[in-house]
Amino acid sequence: MAISLRQRLSAYVIMGILLLFILIPLVAGALTAFKPQIIWVSSPPVWVFQPTLENFEFVFIQRQNLLHLRNSLIIASGSVAIALILGVPAAYALARFRFRGSKGLLQWLISLRMIPPIVVALPFYVLFQTFDLRGTHFGLILAYLTFLIPLVIWMMRGYFVEIPSAMEESAMVEGYSRLQALRKVVLPVVTPGIIATALLNFIFAWNEYFLALILGGRDTSTLPVAAATYVGRARVEWGNLFAVNLIIMLPVIILTIILRRQLVKGLALGLVE
Amino acid sequence: MTASTEVKPVATETGAFRRWLYRMSQKYVHWFFIAPALIAVLVVAIYPIVYSTGLSFFRVTFDSRERPFVLFENFAWVLNDTDYRVAFGNTLLYVFVTVSGAFILGFGVALLLRRITVGRNWLRLVLLLPLTIAPIVVGLTWNWMLDPLFGLINWILTGLGLPPQTWLASTSTARIAVMLVDIWQWYPLIFLIMDAGLSGLPRAPYESARLEGASEWTIFRRITLPLLRPVILVALLLRTVDAFRTFDLVRVMTDGGPAYTTETLSLYLYRTAFNFNKLSRAGAGSMIMLLVIGVISAIMFRYLYRDVERH
Repeated sequence: MAISLRQRLSAYVIMGILLLFILIPLVAGALTAFKPQIIWVSSPPVWVFQPTLENFEFVFIQRQNLLHLRNSLIIASGSVAIALILGVPAAYALARFRFRGSKGLLQWLISLRMIPPIVVALPFYVLFQTFDLRGTHFGLILAYLTFLIPLVIWMMRGYFVEIPSAMEESAMVEGYSRLQALRKVVLPVVTPGIIATALLNFIFAWNEYFLALILGGRDTSTLPVAAATYVGRARVEWGNLFAVNLIIMLPVIILTIILRRQLVKGLALGLVE
Repeated sequence: MTASTEVKPVATETGAFRRWLYRMSQKYVHWFFIAPALIAVLVVAIYPIVYSTGLSFFRVTFDSRERPFVLFENFAWVLNDTDYRVAFGNTLLYVFVTVSGAFILGFGVALLLRRITVGRNWLRLVLLLPLTIAPIVVGLTWNWMLDPLFGLINWILTGLGLPPQTWLASTSTARIAVMLVDIWQWYPLIFLIMDAGLSGLPRAPYESARLEGASEWTIFRRITLPLLRPVILVALLLRTVDAFRTFDLVRVMTDGGPAYTTETLSLYLYRTAFNFNKLSRAGAGSMIMLLVIGVISAIMFRYLYRDVERH
């Protein structure tokens, strides 16, 4: 392709500006998490300062955000684990078998994405009161499955379709049952896909706010809900807030960096179908 | 295996039964895989929909003992409520602006990335960062950026000699500010889809078009766009459906204010149910919302399938 030097240069310049727009809020916010209280807010902004961990100490110990971190971990990993156990076999079947209604079933599962969360929140709220599930991790895990299972099925189906079915057929000719073939031949190949799916679903569950706000009890509220409590009517504890923000952001960013290829591929696979 | 069992007459019965069982299990094996997920989805998704639908035909509050059947009273009430109408109008505007904004930016960035040769994988990673960050964190971070007194944005504006703004507190700028942040957060989704779509394009049509001396713009309009139509539709469909449900960002940035200029449907329904204790009215409101989302996506879906079948 013939691209002139000027065009190429302008592409780099525009990209550079864009990167600044993305990174400045994130970096400035992360820096504030390490600022002592007197310079949480300042105009002009302070970029160089003696970093302190007092904000983290405050949110973890005084405000018990360690508990919220634990809740977030339990709820996100629990719901992802269950969604995978239920969704991966279904995705396999939808990728491999053509049966009456298979296409309709897939479309129907995908369309579940359209449900506004409030439609899920209302019945769950009432149900949780009846069965005393409010204030349990299991309740929120259950609610998260509403959007995690369809996502798992959708993404994993994309990975299974990519594997030639000749693989398990030849294994079955050699005497494996379908389940054995699935376990010993297909699963190892599709493991990167499962990891990418698990991560993406984990990010969704980890970041979720609406259902956690409504359905979480005092002992089960997650980090995003805890973060919002630092915004008061009169004033905002910016340093503490950004400390919590950083705790929410960091695992996701690290996971994204480690698995960037898988994630990009997984997203593209799941979305473009 | 079957041959050996048929030799013994005693085993024929069970042999036939086992063969039948085997045949059946082969024929319906897919349900064995699908059933667990299907049952779970029925419980966690279908039950809530049915429940909310039912709810909207009765008069229900959190503490009500009696739940009289009122047919369309809730629907009528909601449709006559000025706040609901305002929220609906705001949501439609919000969806239109943020989806087109994210689409233009996302597609633009995907095209731009193809001109860049150095460190593409790392660029992709940074470009998609906003998508992975919790909307609540994004909203709170931008609150800080947009603060009228110490926010970085106003600091930059005054540095450039422009007047500072009270971004989220004034009726003229709050909407724009929230929508821009929404675009900031969600353009990576479009970017990812379009990036994947662009990488999958065939080369041949481009080469022949260049040989014929077609301009870049003609090539883009006549080759790239038509080829990408299905991908574009998927991207728009996904983003539209999600934009309708926006809650987190608006909740922490403006909570619907100032003067209801940023009140969206999700906020309205949340308030109606959990602050004003009007469960069934929220139910009716969400049914109407679901209906509108359903109609819009059905239209897009039809376009999509028409395309897929034509190719």
